[in-house]
Amino acid sequence: MTTAEVTSRKLTRSELMRAFWRYVFLFQCGWNYERMQSVGYAYTMLPVLKKTRPDPEEFKEAFITNLNFFNTNPVVGAPLIIGAHIALEEAGASLETTEGLKIGLMGPLAGVGDTLLWALYNSIIFSIGSVMALNGQVLGPIFVILMVLFPYLAVRYWQFTWAYKQGANIVTQLGGGVIARVTEFATIVGLIVVGGFIPSIVRLTTSLEWTNVVTVRGEEVTQTVNIQQQLDAILPYMLPVLVTALAYWLLKRGKSPIFVLVVLLLIGFIGGALGIFAPP
Amino acid sequence: MFIALILAIWAYYCVYDILGPTLIMGFRPLISAFVTGLIIGDVQMGLLIGGTLELMALGVYTYGGATIPDYTVGGILGTYFGHQAGFEVGIALAIPAALLLTQVDILNRFLNFIFVHRADRYAEEGNDKGFDRMMVWTSHIIWGLSRAIPVFLAIAFGEAVVRAVSNFFGSNPWFNNGIAVAGGILPALGFAMLLKIMPVEKYPAFLLLGFIMFAYLKMPLVGIAIAAVAIALVYQQLKYRSQEG
Repeated sequence: MTTAEVTSRKLTRSELMRAFWRYVFLFQCGWNYERMQSVGYAYTMLPVLKKTRPDPEEFKEAFITNLNFFNTNPVVGAPLIIGAHIALEEAGASLETTEGLKIGLMGPLAGVGDTLLWALYNSIIFSIGSVMALNGQVLGPIFVILMVLFPYLAVRYWQFTWAYKQGANIVTQLGGGVIARVTEFATIVGLIVVGGFIPSIVRLTTSLEWTNVVTVRGEEVTQTVNIQQQLDAILPYMLPVLVTALAYWLLKRGKSPIFVLVVLLLIGFIGGALGIFAPP
Repeated sequence: MFIALILAIWAYYCVYDILGPTLIMGFRPLISAFVTGLIIGDVQMGLLIGGTLELMALGVYTYGGATIPDYTVGGILGTYFGHQAGFEVGIALAIPAALLLTQVDILNRFLNFIFVHRADRYAEEGNDKGFDRMMVWTSHIIWGLSRAIPVFLAIAFGEAVVRAVSNFFGSNPWFNNGIAVAGGILPALGFAMLLKIMPVEKYPAFLLLGFIMFAYLKMPLVGIAIAAVAIALVYQQLKYRSQEG
């Protein structure tokens, strides 16, 4: 390849940003069971492919190839792959290379992104926001919006530009146990937080009392034992822990979330209607 | 009718938000209900319905592509009906609405195959302009309308149902208790789903630590989150010390 060809492939900053904004605004639109994020991916890459493959036949081939199955986390993961892919396109990589990059990274990054962002970060900010909202504070949802609006855009932009600079090196950069380490970090934080959230957010107390009439020195005395107090003495928040354990056990046995939802609704509804459990 | 239209547009945006820009996480019930509260002028109801549904749903949003009850629409309808007939009625209608729309989600994810096949045709022709037009104008339509239409219909024509439900509630207080208790324990599902995707058996100590911090040390949630980051940092520093020298 001559130097002139290399320069003609190089994207200007505005062309690069065009791909970024296409990714931001429409990446998951058209998501479908057959090829998932494929149309959004092709849409993001089209202006790049148009520039790097001026020959109409080559462009067409790249267009078709980039409609292949694709799925990863849209916020943490996708921008890394897109950024690196653009760098490879500029360098004149073959379609096999770029498809290899996409297929090789989308699985592991989906795992990291879903754990870090969906399971961990979002659960924390939404738990905090919801507890505030239930106390009547408008700040609850506003806090969540602020924790999404700027951090999400920033983290997407950062991944995109970082991966673009790394290009083909991204595979080695992300290898070497980095993904495993980040996932482990997220797992630990997640487990601690969930351990604290279960007793604070799941609410279940019993209103049962156990009455016993005993005869003390010839007089009948009614003793009332508050069952909730007894339970608290053994283990605070015992009922919320038990009900979460039940849901976990059912899921582990392969029951669907909808099934578990119905089971919990029934337990709560029947228990509440009969007065076994106290309304929170 | 006007409100029904505005809320239908809001439902459309909520779905589009997660498909595209993810600016405000509008598809989460806390946000969808809060903004509904702003639109109808009952912010407190939006906060209550949104907070309640959000805690129920927490954890079901853990992996992409999973089909889950539609708490987005649940939040919008729950807030609207709650404003008309009280919080219990709102929640009692939001949950079945969310469950009913689960099926709609499966249908629209399936129907979207239309776009990928049209895209194939544009690619064969090398027609990037046509493809761009399809993406910008229509790629979100099935998804968006699948939520906007039910919201519009429920609000425009749901008044009779709401009145019936609210009359029933008025004469059967035990029903309120049942709903309230069920609402309290539903978050257990979210946490169970989170735990299912995490290696609990490998690291049970961390789960216990979190429990102790809340149940015995009475730490606030933000404090627990910060402590969790510190603990994870220390754990990894010790674990990888040998590698880093």
